[in-house]
Amino acid sequence: MIDVALASLIEDMIQKAGADGVVEFWQRVGDNLASRMGKEAYLGWTSFNVAVREGRTAFSIEGDVTPLTDMAITDVDGDVVGYLYAMRQCCYVPTIFRTRFAVGRMSPADKAVTDEYNENVHNIAVCNFCVFHERFREEIAKNVTVSGNPLACFLLATRGWSGEAKISSKNVVQVNINEDHVRALLRNYECVYALVLRGGRIKGER
Amino acid sequence: MPADARMQDSNPFVEIATHLFLEDLSGKVGVSGLNNYLVSLAKNLATAMPQEEYASWPEFLAALRDGQSILSTFEEVRPVTDRCMSTLRSPFERGWREYAKRVGVFAPVHREVAEYYNHKVRPAAVTSVHIVLHTFREAAAARIHVGSQGVHYEPVAAAWVDGTVQVPEGPKLESLLKRAGISRTRLGMLLRNHSDVWLLEPV
Repeated sequence: MIDVALASLIEDMIQKAGADGVVEFWQRVGDNLASRMGKEAYLGWTSFNVAVREGRTAFSIEGDVTPLTDMAITDVDGDVVGYLYAMRQCCYVPTIFRTRFAVGRMSPADKAVTDEYNENVHNIAVCNFCVFHERFREEIAKNVTVSGNPLACFLLATRGWSGEAKISSKNVVQVNINEDHVRALLRNYECVYALVLRGGRIKGER
Repeated sequence: MPADARMQDSNPFVEIATHLFLEDLSGKVGVSGLNNYLVSLAKNLATAMPQEEYASWPEFLAALRDGQSILSTFEEVRPVTDRCMSTLRSPFERGWREYAKRVGVFAPVHREVAEYYNHKVRPAAVTSVHIVLHTFREAAAARIHVGSQGVHYEPVAAAWVDGTVQVPEGPKLESLLKRAGISRTRLGMLLRNHSDVWLLEPV
């Protein structure tokens, strides 16, 4: 119930703090949740990817995450420094459906916050919740080490429940992944992101 | 779970995020401000839902039981008598369990705001989500007509996932039990394994 009520809270918040204020709130909540999740360490990518598949990492709080182990990210020396990860279902979609069948329609507040984020922060959001969990993942990644190195997270692509797809040109370039490869993933997945070793010199990175 | 198969079960991750959102908010506006936000969001939610009308009280009870009323959108309602309703499992239970598993102990502000609500509004909340639940039920009941009469809601007792129970004391409880048509013993029996006992009556 509280997830459906969230949109009503955001309506209230927009009146008091504006859509930009809600974006700031959401980002701070992402920081706070990540800081309360604690640190994690893995011996290498294999153990980390097994943990992701088994739902043992902090990233798993969002739901089932699939490590796309055939899509490795390599550094200038050809060493693997990261992988792509994807969720079959956006973690907000169940709430969208619950709202649809509980209230009858989604609140316009959802779109107001989404538009604010896309215009002024990062054009990748398909719902207000993207604002929170892009920041949440970025902060979580800092607390996870693989082979002793902390991770960095780049949100690459999202697909909303109405079918609208967004690809982050900025982040796709950062991890040197072809945009068409990411687009193809959106046929099966609704949220695609990359986790790479922080500071890794990614091959082809501009 | 609601009877409508299209209505999915709760979304614990979004619930966790919302709890964190509320915690952050309380840092800005304090406990009384948080109480105001909770009341307001619950009223807004109910207001966004369509009004309802039923020809008779038995028809209304059947809609509650079948998950067709806005009052049974988020919880499985089991009428105990014509006036006394019970909820088997709190609609917030899954979110709370996930919070405890993934994040840790529920932040103290959730209890603090409930105490504020108990003191200022009515003694019916164990934690913050009960403020949402009671306010929502009250506002949703006001949107329902049975015959020519409106519907009035009042909480009788709330039990939280950890077993903490909030029941009004003395004459207030006796009055509620009398109107609900249950005894104190029956209330105790219900609270052993139900999350909420509440009253609906014609205005």
